[in-house]
Amino acid sequence: MADYRELWQKLGMDLEKHDVLCEVLPQLYGGVYLSQENRPEGMNYYNFVVAEVHGLRIKELDDHKKEGGKVVGTFCVFVPDELILAAGAIGVGLCAGSQFWIEDGEKVLPRNICPLVKAFMGAKLSGTCPYFQSCDMIIGETTCDAKKKAWEILDDYVDTYVMDLPQMKREKDHKKWAEEIYDLKEKLEKLTGNTITEEKLHEAIKLCNRKRIALQRLYNARKALDVPISGKDALLISQIAFYDNPERFIEMTNKLCDELEERIEKGISVNKKGDKRILISGTPMAVPNWKMHHIVENSGAVVVAEETCTGTRYFENLVDESPTTMDGMINALADRYLKINCACFTPNKGREEDIIRLAKEYKADGVIYNCLQFCHTYNIEYTNVEKALKEAGIPVLFIESDYSNDDVGQIQTRVEAFLEMLG
Amino acid sequence: MEYDYYILFNTHTDGLVLAKKLKENNIKYTIVPTPRQLSKSCGIAIKYEHEDEKAILDIIDKHEIKILAMHSLERKNMEIKFI
Repeated sequence: MADYRELWQKLGMDLEKHDVLCEVLPQLYGGVYLSQENRPEGMNYYNFVVAEVHGLRIKELDDHKKEGGKVVGTFCVFVPDELILAAGAIGVGLCAGSQFWIEDGEKVLPRNICPLVKAFMGAKLSGTCPYFQSCDMIIGETTCDAKKKAWEILDDYVDTYVMDLPQMKREKDHKKWAEEIYDLKEKLEKLTGNTITEEKLHEAIKLCNRKRIALQRLYNARKALDVPISGKDALLISQIAFYDNPERFIEMTNKLCDELEERIEKGISVNKKGDKRILISGTPMAVPNWKMHHIVENSGAVVVAEETCTGTRYFENLVDESPTTMDGMINALADRYLKINCACFTPNKGREEDIIRLAKEYKADGVIYNCLQFCHTYNIEYTNVEKALKEAGIPVLFIESDYSNDDVGQIQTRVEAFLEMLG
Repeated sequence: MEYDYYILFNTHTDGLVLAKKLKENNIKYTIVPTPRQLSKSCGIAIKYEHEDEKAILDIIDKHEIKILAMHSLERKNMEIKFI
């Protein structure tokens, strides 16, 4: 067996504590993923990535660092990967989706903030995430108060740079965001010692667009009436997109999509006739947060899309590839990223429109609004989303939860009642 | 009692070589995280159907693919606990 202990030790990890995580993950993955019937063969690649999640990719990051390369961690879909790649660095979207890290996070953070923030802090403090340990710098952003203040604490443990994301979408906000992207460019050049040239940035824009197109293709396959892939498998692919090697990810996801399109033609499906089609909308689901998808798909429904940061918000809208000057490309990046409709913006009518559009495109029978505990922006925004969905005649169920196992039974009961109500 | 069958490897590259050959020979397999009961090291294993064992052994022999071990585990319905 591959032994990565030496590498983990070098990264300053707490091996004993990390071993506890290694012990429970295969069982959770087995129960949630490997127990599914009729999975596409192409999912073997993603099984492989999960099996090697703290191994092969970490080794690749280590090899990159040995050659003087830098690794940069992110937590939000607003941070432009294009700049990280153009600077010759590797970007990893860090997970923060496990209850395992909450206790350590609460050592320095209040209990009544969102589990994602507590988990990322705990992951760093406990030294149990080799991705976090590989990072030379973290790029934070100002998408919520909890994150904003947590960066100040995290900076004591790892160099943390913060992008100031505007919270409105006026012309002056657009200009400010473009300036923020320029500042990040300078910061990354300083960190890596590499100049981000127009050519390199253009290449990176094209690469990230190709990744978005592959994910769009995957999601398009889920629009079929005979759904060729489960929601939880699609969620896993989105989650892996954040840290896998982009070229390899694009190649393997396109291969899987070939298979999915073939399955659609042949009518091979993961759902049974009459299974309800659910759109999940709300807060991000980081690895290994597969809870809501598992509950829904174990209740005789299929998740057909996610209006989340680990779903459509990550890949909708491409960056315009026509500008080739630095100013033009930075503006094109600012344009694309500001089209993301996150609940941190006010007003945020665009998100209501997105949910209604997606529910129609994916022929969803209902929407489950999934909100992490203490996520004020998404929680408060539900009032208007509910109203808009009601007017559009789309049923919706609100679930507020964290990563723990405690409320699984309760959520299951509510989901089953909701599905029954859908008829 | 029902059993699941696994092949363990020294490195993931060996596992991928075998996976490729199994695919070429239309033998059903699943790449899985190595079950904890079989090894404490992380990494991949290949889960296969018992009826294919002879064919798989032939492929391993023919292509001189390095494997660490072959194991069976009693199939249990384990409770899922989110972490």
